[in-house]
Amino acid sequence: MKLEERIRIEPDGSVTAFSGKIEFGQGIRTAFAQLVANELDVPVERVRVVLGDTAQVPFDFGTFGSNSVAQEAPALRLAAAFARRSLIRRASAHLGLPAARLDTRGGTIGDGDGKRVSYADLVRDAPLTGAVPDNEPLLPPERWGSIGKPLSRVEARDIVTGRARYSADVRPARLARGAIARPPARGGRATRVDDQAARAMPGVIAVVHDGDIVGVVAEREEQARAAADALEIDWEMPKSEPSETQVVAMREDAGTDAALASAALTRSATYTLPSIASASIGPSAAVVDVRPDGATVYAGTHRPFGLRDAVAGSVGLPKESVRVMPQMSSGTYGRSSAPDVSVEAAVLSKHARRPVLVQWSRAEEFAYSPSRPEAVLEVTAGLDASGNMVAWRYDEHTNVHTAAGPDPRVAAMTSGRNAVPPYTIPSARVVLFVEPTPLRTANFRSLAAAENVFAIESFVDELAHASQQDPLAFRLRHSGDPRLRRVMERVADVSGYGKKLPARRGHGFACTLYHGTYVAQVAEVEVAASGAVRVLRVWCVVDPGLVINPDGVRNQVEGGIQQSASWTLLEELRHKNGRVATTSWDTYPIATFRDAPESIAVLVEGDSGAPSTGVGEPGAVPTPAAIANAVFAACGARVRDVPLTPQRVRKAAQPVA
Amino acid sequence: MRLVLTVNGARREVDPPPAAPLLSVLRDDLGLTGTRFGCGSGQCGACYVIVDGRAVASCLMPVRQTADREITTIEGLANGETLHPVQEAFIAEDAMQCGYCTSGMIISAAALLARDAAPDEAAIRDALAGNLCRCGVYGRAIRAVQRAAGTMAVAVGSPPAMHR
Repeated sequence: MKLEERIRIEPDGSVTAFSGKIEFGQGIRTAFAQLVANELDVPVERVRVVLGDTAQVPFDFGTFGSNSVAQEAPALRLAAAFARRSLIRRASAHLGLPAARLDTRGGTIGDGDGKRVSYADLVRDAPLTGAVPDNEPLLPPERWGSIGKPLSRVEARDIVTGRARYSADVRPARLARGAIARPPARGGRATRVDDQAARAMPGVIAVVHDGDIVGVVAEREEQARAAADALEIDWEMPKSEPSETQVVAMREDAGTDAALASAALTRSATYTLPSIASASIGPSAAVVDVRPDGATVYAGTHRPFGLRDAVAGSVGLPKESVRVMPQMSSGTYGRSSAPDVSVEAAVLSKHARRPVLVQWSRAEEFAYSPSRPEAVLEVTAGLDASGNMVAWRYDEHTNVHTAAGPDPRVAAMTSGRNAVPPYTIPSARVVLFVEPTPLRTANFRSLAAAENVFAIESFVDELAHASQQDPLAFRLRHSGDPRLRRVMERVADVSGYGKKLPARRGHGFACTLYHGTYVAQVAEVEVAASGAVRVLRVWCVVDPGLVINPDGVRNQVEGGIQQSASWTLLEELRHKNGRVATTSWDTYPIATFRDAPESIAVLVEGDSGAPSTGVGEPGAVPTPAAIANAVFAACGARVRDVPLTPQRVRKAAQPVA
Repeated sequence: MRLVLTVNGARREVDPPPAAPLLSVLRDDLGLTGTRFGCGSGQCGACYVIVDGRAVASCLMPVRQTADREITTIEGLANGETLHPVQEAFIAEDAMQCGYCTSGMIISAAALLARDAAPDEAAIRDALAGNLCRCGVYGRAIRAVQRAAGTMAVAVGSPPAMHR
């Protein structure tokens, strides 16, 4: 790693840091600023973080998997520490004092209260450069300034004043507006486009038919949409592509069937989860300016370099000539791993020879963006006479979870994420079936972990009840990981798990270990006679290793829980033959202010001796099971199908004849 | 269609297509992009602005109906560099993640506090029920509105400034 790729000291002594990750609400820009400020011993306000600009940052594969802090924190800290040491070395020559006597303070270097020199003066003649050693010493904890301190988002003031600039807010000179004519179903190709009427409409600059893209560029958005609607197009629908189910054995212990057959108690259950929408509040948008010699892309994206290559390919430019400048982005939770809207804007811009903004409508966003796959999860387990799990069989049926399409090399870590339970079980067989679907599916927050953990943690709850054991004690007896045990015990403690609650109220427990982050939750729900479930309170204890911004962690985990409660109680993307039927907030409701729990109490209890791990996704992962287990505790209804609608709860609550 | 609008206390002349909604005039003609597009059908709250004291969906409001009315957008809430108490409170509570819905939430909250200086939690939830947030900052936003109400109650007798 070269220092100059990561850290630059500006002429005014402020610090610029560079990362290929991107920000869409996770707070990583803030965390990165804290890390760099800490090692360089400057106030956080003096650090600016450049994210994802392909002309400025080192290559990065993409922002997903709650991996940003885990991956980038060590690199940025090392680079900043090396920069500090390099500055001290220069200061030593500058001041004529041995480096060992010098120390940093607020962007200056000196010997105690004697003569000091500023960072600005030390980089006046030459920028800092050089290879960062892997063993560069970091500041000891007693010298930490910013790490571990709660800090509001560095973008906060721009956000609350409306100055924050999202992709659709970019207004380059001569900006035109684009609209796309969509096929009746996914994959349709235009065989004939009659644009006579459209071309004559007000404001129209160009009608474009290039490859799979048919669209209109006009001066105003309303004009582009009206003209796109006026195009007469013959569509050829694709023949159903032959696609095979991928079968991936994720864990295959010999003797699992025999262990099941000889178990003292066996139980089986099937859990289902529907497809859900990413449902960003801001529908996809991008501004792209394609010129003969290159292109600039203003977009929200999880993969700036992947997007650069996709845009370059779509308009026939060398990828080095395309610059992706990620803007503020509405939270997309995985959806903008796909380059679609930017490619559309690029193709339109190429033909119109103007910068073009394509803003998807709400209906387009629901109907054409990728969604989280469905899942059917079949599980059987066997317990011995003393209540220990001895065997586990788990079949996960789902669809592809990544924008890149089916890939057997990554199926286990994507579609199979968290399919293997975090418990000690002597014999287990876990098999993943990635099945074809006509629906467009791809990355969504936590990939398959939310689905798998719903099934696993619901089923563990069922096994505990079936064997007359306390669900927490049952988990603890099958868990040898001290960090997992600690978050479980702590959340039980703070929530009063197990105490008696008023009628129709219940506590539900669930936990997960997600990419190194430990999370345990208790949900308290109230179930009305109608079957309607209200989440009253959620307690959560999270251990993400070394915590950089405790309030940033809390915010992420609270938000994950809130979003996940919405998935669990309300959300289902309805579709038929690949066509989405729920294309508005009327038909695809999400939780509102009225649905928000009375409290979501997140305790951040990290481990400063362990590496930092992510918090963007894991908070959302155990919540569906915590809620379902709480519903069972409240009214005896075991609901194995998400969403937990009143009808399903009522039906499950009826005593079996 | 030539119109004169009063936006954030200033008179602005515009010439939009007759059917244009206020949202597209704010964003595309006046460059006030802090008001966000979310759904175009008044269902998400991202585009809320204050018109004559009420938070309304600018995507549904025909611009021709807004001449002669006082329009306040998110850009007009602060007084120079002095933020509106609701803006300050959203920062203090870090009541945001991606921030896309934040403009609309702050507008709803500012309109609420202008008519009810001491709303209870149910009133806050009702007033902001039209503002969808996918990142899930509802709890923090409720605390932020409560904090702003507290701040404003302390500022003796001075009603919240809606705009300059």
